[in-house]
Amino acid sequence: MVPTIMKQGRIAPFLYLLPAMAVITIFIVYPMIETVRLSFTNRYGTGTAASSCLPGNPCWGIFENYRYALTNPEMLTALRNNALWLLLMVPVTVALGLVVAILADRVRYESLAKAVIFMPMAISFIGAGIIWRFMYNIESGGGAQTGLLNAILVGLGLQPVAWLSNPAVNNLALMAVGTWLWAGFCMTILSAAIKGLSVEIIEAAHVDGANGWQTFRNITVPMIWPTILVVTTTMVINILKIFDIVFVMTGGNFGTEVIANRMFKLIVTDLGRSTAIAVLLVVLTIPVMYYNMRRFREEEAMR
Amino acid sequence: MKNKNKIWLIISVLVIFAMTLAACGAPATPAPTQAPVTTEAPAETQAPVATEAPAETQALAPVIDCMGAAAGDQLNVMYQWSGAEEEKINAIFKPFIDACGVQIVAESTRDAAVLDTKAKSTPPDVLFWPTTAPMTLYTAQLKDLGSLGADAGSYASFWQALGTTGGQWLAAPVKADIKSIIWYSPVQFETFGYSVPATFDELDSLVDRMAADGNIPWSMGFGSDAATGWTGSDFIQDLLLTQQGPDYVMGLIDGSIPYDDAGVVEAYQTYVKWAADPKYTVGGAEGTVNTPFLDAIYKVFSDPPEAMMVKQSGFAGGEIVKQYPSLQYGTDFDFFAFPGAKGMQGGADYMMAFSDTPAVKALVTYLTSAYGAQVWAETGFDLSPNKNAVGKYTDAQLSKKAEALANASGFTPDLGDTIPAPFGEAEWKAIIAAVQGEDIPKALAAAAAAQAEALKQ
Amino acid sequence: MKPFSSLNRIFSNIPIHAALILLCLLWIVPTLGLFVTSFRPREDVRTSGWWTVFQPRQVVGETEYDTYCASCHGADGKEISAADLSSPELLVDYPRSNRLLTALRKDIDGKPHLSDPALPSNPNKALDTLSKILDYMRSLSSGGTAKERFTLRNYADALVGYKGTQDYLTDCQQGVASALAKFQCNSSDLLNPEGMGRALLNTIMVAVPATILPILLAAFAAYAFTWMDFKGRQLLFIILVGLQIVPLQMTLVPIARLYAQLGMQSTFYGIWLFHTAFGLPYAIFLMSNFLRGLPRELFESAYIDGANHWISFWNMALPLALPAIAALGIFQFLWLWNDFLVAKIFLTTQPVLTVQITNLIDPRGGNWHILTGAAFLSFIIPMLVFFAFQRYFVRGLTAGAVKG
Repeated sequence: MVPTIMKQGRIAPFLYLLPAMAVITIFIVYPMIETVRLSFTNRYGTGTAASSCLPGNPCWGIFENYRYALTNPEMLTALRNNALWLLLMVPVTVALGLVVAILADRVRYESLAKAVIFMPMAISFIGAGIIWRFMYNIESGGGAQTGLLNAILVGLGLQPVAWLSNPAVNNLALMAVGTWLWAGFCMTILSAAIKGLSVEIIEAAHVDGANGWQTFRNITVPMIWPTILVVTTTMVINILKIFDIVFVMTGGNFGTEVIANRMFKLIVTDLGRSTAIAVLLVVLTIPVMYYNMRRFREEEAMR
Repeated sequence: MKNKNKIWLIISVLVIFAMTLAACGAPATPAPTQAPVTTEAPAETQAPVATEAPAETQALAPVIDCMGAAAGDQLNVMYQWSGAEEEKINAIFKPFIDACGVQIVAESTRDAAVLDTKAKSTPPDVLFWPTTAPMTLYTAQLKDLGSLGADAGSYASFWQALGTTGGQWLAAPVKADIKSIIWYSPVQFETFGYSVPATFDELDSLVDRMAADGNIPWSMGFGSDAATGWTGSDFIQDLLLTQQGPDYVMGLIDGSIPYDDAGVVEAYQTYVKWAADPKYTVGGAEGTVNTPFLDAIYKVFSDPPEAMMVKQSGFAGGEIVKQYPSLQYGTDFDFFAFPGAKGMQGGADYMMAFSDTPAVKALVTYLTSAYGAQVWAETGFDLSPNKNAVGKYTDAQLSKKAEALANASGFTPDLGDTIPAPFGEAEWKAIIAAVQGEDIPKALAAAAAAQAEALKQ
Repeated sequence: MKPFSSLNRIFSNIPIHAALILLCLLWIVPTLGLFVTSFRPREDVRTSGWWTVFQPRQVVGETEYDTYCASCHGADGKEISAADLSSPELLVDYPRSNRLLTALRKDIDGKPHLSDPALPSNPNKALDTLSKILDYMRSLSSGGTAKERFTLRNYADALVGYKGTQDYLTDCQQGVASALAKFQCNSSDLLNPEGMGRALLNTIMVAVPATILPILLAAFAAYAFTWMDFKGRQLLFIILVGLQIVPLQMTLVPIARLYAQLGMQSTFYGIWLFHTAFGLPYAIFLMSNFLRGLPRELFESAYIDGANHWISFWNMALPLALPAIAALGIFQFLWLWNDFLVAKIFLTTQPVLTVQITNLIDPRGGNWHILTGAAFLSFIIPMLVFFAFQRYFVRGLTAGAVKG
């Protein structure tokens, strides 16, 4: 709580807040409102969305752009892929982060191992895209494979795989890049939580005859569960907004489209649709945002 | 524990060291000599224009009709060219400037919005633009080129038609490059006894003969980052030009023919037969979709070659030499026009005039004249659609391209470059899907929907 | 302690070591691949994998040469002086096996050029053989000196933004005028607008102010939230912090239109303000958390001693919050350095590193060899910052997520 003796005028706090609030209002709040408005207009932002309807085609009137966002085949692919990312990549990345945090906690070269896993966080998505080209590249003619994965496959006598254009595997290949980039983030936060656990409890468990797995399952995980939730929700938000990896590696081609990439592609050509997709994206994050807010309130209350 | 920091520090230092080395490796011309040149330059360059005309230009000067333009008249021009291209256009302007003393003030922009703002406030006198779109946007402001002294006889009738709207000739093509061509290795063809096909049927049977010989006829590659698919679009447009003709392609561009029309389906079927089969193209569908388009060019000229032919625009010649400097044009690599195509696909820049001052008349007259065509050809700024340019090229490749262009019975802009972006994106997606095995009418339906939407107005 | 227990522990830990080391290897290999590739010559990058640098180079075509050529032209190719197979002049006429095949198909002195043994009659097989023989002849003519396996040319090309036909250093040495229109071949090329050198400066121009500004503004706001009392404090705080969730993409269109109206496209202050706005919610959150943890008595006693808020902000809160400022600074700096989307849209004429990398891709694709160098150049500073200040970075991450 604020010390009651430190009095100040009624205006002073707002003078301290003014610069931040001004910038946030102009660059976040105003554009949000404007985006919602534009999502009901046509592709130039000049007339209502209903004016982009074609005779003889389905039309949702003023919600026409939302019809596109929810029914267009490209958008359905994007929605499906975002769901796929959420269901597959978030658990794998969080789990992997947890595994590394636990394993590294038990070796002498802990900080070196953690630095290696964490390093991709310092690399731009553009850089990551270039790095992974040399993993995923495929040579379809007679030449030697220049992508490491396909060189290994061919070395084992198997057929090379078109990692980025084959719809059966390309989404998984992109998720692997995402995991490579974000596992370090999960690891770092989870590791800090594990370090915060009291040593006595763990040791007591050992004395009681619990083995490593039992300690992990019955003591460590329950105790850091709040942190696991934080990491998971943060990852969910990151993944809902996933854009760069797809943009850099496939451009959304070959069935790898995601919501944010659709929005980016349409910025230039169709304001109405682009902003409708943006609104959709925010609506999807609202449940997570609500959850986070509630958690924060609870923490505040506990202080 | 500090060691890991050290390791990375060492690596980082090594990289920086490498950078510095690379930077120092460049032969260091003393910087100070540079400075005086730049300061003196303006005075120096202005002098010759005003006073001493070189002997060479004196001899040529009478060929250029200045149409009453006075020395010192200012001429504002706008174009998209920059860098090496801008150098070429300046070289082409030079004889005109030398002869008439007109001062050309150029603005280079690729932004249609800039053109729009300018057109509505202070339009340039002469505009060079890579589409004829300004012709329809600013019809009332543009001047009929015939009335300015342009020589319509210098252009094939299809060129005039492309630049005419409402009976007025508003846009004259000044520069063109051609895309309906196929690159191959003459010596490789000779090795196997193949000859250059003259008709589409000959091409079709040549392809089958190559496949029967165990040779892969085509090298294809879509890979081009965000633009993946455009090489397929070019190929299909050539097939459309062969099977249907230029009017059909123009119909697809303006929306009067839906993109899922039977003619488009037919072209896709022909294309996919080749592009998805490893017998006909390197790596089959997977190779077509994944190979970067430059690699697709290289594969025809590697040793031994992986394929016999690659369909690619005029720029491929430069890329071949860049990759394999030892190869010689005419022996190791060459091209032929897409056999049977009724009309040539390509890109063109058009000249349009917003005013009719003597200086404008003089420039328009110069560029449409036989002499202007000759200067253009000798400068080698791609091709000049001006009939008089044929035979004037000093570069052998350009000369042959010019011949192919002159023999064409029609000209269509590259569909992919011309249609609105959402339609273009849908078109590429349809091509990729078709090659990856999707049912062709189904793949085309989405593109047709995008076409209908994009060309609604 | 029993003597076996420590041994026992080592053995029971083997799976842990194995798993961890395997994971670390998996994580490092992709980056290592790019690092190695960035030093490889262009043609090698295109035709072979980066791991082949760890294998010895093979001499191809020796057996084929011995079978068909050695008996007449000698093992070193010099036997027939009129047709010295090791001379570079001769090789100029045979850049490709198909040219050689054409020549060999012509009779020599009325007899087939090759009769014992004759070339395979299948032209494809003949070309395969001949291309290997040509490779061998090339190695003869270069006197057996191997081609360079590592080069700094990719880095040089990337730094100056060279997109020509050979490479920058070679063109400068040979004075190839057509390729050098944009280059002076001296240090001024490092600032060529199309190069990574200039992009590095632009990135610094973006990253430094856009790191300082949000932290300063957030410090003010956080101070107010922590040490001042006013109506709606709690609610305002939650709203500001909640804005973290707004996807940046959602604001791009309106801001781009606003900038166009104000003539602020492609200005540095436009991008500073944008990044400031998006850095603020998290920065306010983190700074508030940190300031709240400072001992309250400190501020109270200062207040009693007559310090007003302004003084205690500058003299106490800010210096004491240095660890949080460091954490935030590094966090924001790395984010700015690696940003592509915002710079691509709001700073088109002054490309930053990430944007310049994509510009370096030839309009017609390709240029992968240069991209490798360019990518590594862009990694240097974030890597240095990251490994030098890793502690703070980690703290910045965890402070936001884990209470304490």
